[in-house]
Amino acid sequence: MIAEVRKTVIDGLAQMNYDVSDVTGDTVLGPEGLDLESLAIAELAILLEDTYGSKFTEEEMSGFTGLTIDQIAGEVTARTAVGASA
Amino acid sequence: MPASAARTATITGMGVFTPVGRDLDQFFDALCVGRSGIVNPPEGHPTFGAVDAAAIAPPIEAIEVLPPLAARVVDRFLLMALAAADDAIRDAKIEIGTDVDPYRVGVVVSTGVGGMSTYEQQSFGWQARGGNAVSPLLYPGFLPNMASARIGIKYGIRGFSSSISTACAAGAHAIAEALRLIRDDECDVVICGGSEAPFGGTGVAAFGNARALAAGWADPAHASRPFDTRRNGFVLGEGAGIVVVESAEFAQARGARRYADLIGWGATTDAYHPTMPRPDGEAAAQAMRKALRSAGLAPGDVKYVNAHGTSTKLGDQVESTAIRAAFGDSPAVSSTKGVTGHLLGAAGAIESIATVLAVERGMMPATANLEEPDPLCDVDHVVKTRIGPVGAALSNSFAFGGHNVSLVFATAGATAG
Repeated sequence: MIAEVRKTVIDGLAQMNYDVSDVTGDTVLGPEGLDLESLAIAELAILLEDTYGSKFTEEEMSGFTGLTIDQIAGEVTARTAVGASA
Repeated sequence: MPASAARTATITGMGVFTPVGRDLDQFFDALCVGRSGIVNPPEGHPTFGAVDAAAIAPPIEAIEVLPPLAARVVDRFLLMALAAADDAIRDAKIEIGTDVDPYRVGVVVSTGVGGMSTYEQQSFGWQARGGNAVSPLLYPGFLPNMASARIGIKYGIRGFSSSISTACAAGAHAIAEALRLIRDDECDVVICGGSEAPFGGTGVAAFGNARALAAGWADPAHASRPFDTRRNGFVLGEGAGIVVVESAEFAQARGARRYADLIGWGATTDAYHPTMPRPDGEAAAQAMRKALRSAGLAPGDVKYVNAHGTSTKLGDQVESTAIRAAFGDSPAVSSTKGVTGHLLGAAGAIESIATVLAVERGMMPATANLEEPDPLCDVDHVVKTRIGPVGAALSNSFAFGGHNVSLVFATAGATAG
């Protein structure tokens, strides 16, 4: 599922006009990578909530900037699995 | 402070984004020869089927005026404002931060309703799919102040910035504010004007249901006919006009071109009705008198009035009465809305630009479609474009809410203003 979430994130970033030609699962969202600003992080969080039902708190969202795309995809996958088993 | 001791303000750059073109020459030529920008809305346009006639500005993509990451969920009123600002600043040949201290530059770009269509679209999503359909970019994409803010961001403007929302007087109020900022020595340069993108279904329906819009014209180019006996409402239009106003001293020191000077402003309020003008036109007349006083001019010094003249029955009549009351003998009067339609919060800005060009070029553009002047609109109508020195001219803007604004422009360097 991680690959699917990764694709959702990268497609979403492309929709947001980010240049994703060199973006991989190892790309960091924060200043060391794509340098997403707060509203862009918020858009991404909404996309993930809308697609996979995974809700993120404001605190979690601010932590996104230190994560890679695959780390976020892993988090989404874990939450979906928890949700599915609940 | 007496007028002679005040700092003079001058116009050094202008940009238009209008139904009759994006180029200053093309714009002014259209006004002078009566080339209409009013059309039957084409299929697919938000006003298709809702109105008989609309004044539609050229298309524009966000990417033309904003960097890619900022070019999403941005209302058309912001794009048009940015495009007109780009042109005006380029026209003034000024580099903010190089030619002028960014803290001495202001920006006041106004609008009537801001990004109502963008709000409407997001609201459709919210109603259909709930909160997750609403973009977090909505506020910076539709707020009325965002024209000033985004122009400020793009050009690094760090002085005074604001947005004055006074419906159809908004553009004129912004330019009046620029004059105050120059006179008060708060700024050396002010980017100012107005922008309006009113073509969302909800807003258009409201104007239509209020029976405010021109209707029943086989040829849309005939629908806007200020002061004509057969006029039956205004034609909704969109666009933007931006002006660079500078202290004349500052402009001169950097060798800038001066189109004309901005020498006076006057503003009053009808205190009468949310949409109808005060029937005796007294507050409108008082705005013109105040503008003349602010300019240090006598009524006879003004040769041309660019009227608000929207082509509504009552509005045109009241304005004519007010012009008579303020001036006695009528100066030459025309309304350029016959070809541009009514650009609401941008009207005062593009009409100020028309007035500046009238002064600079010595041409008073005619009122289009004025075939039979209404006897109740008893002023000296410009039915055919007149050529000759204008010297000083006044532009009127009146609004829903009873906001009245008059601005006075004069030949560059001709007065102490």
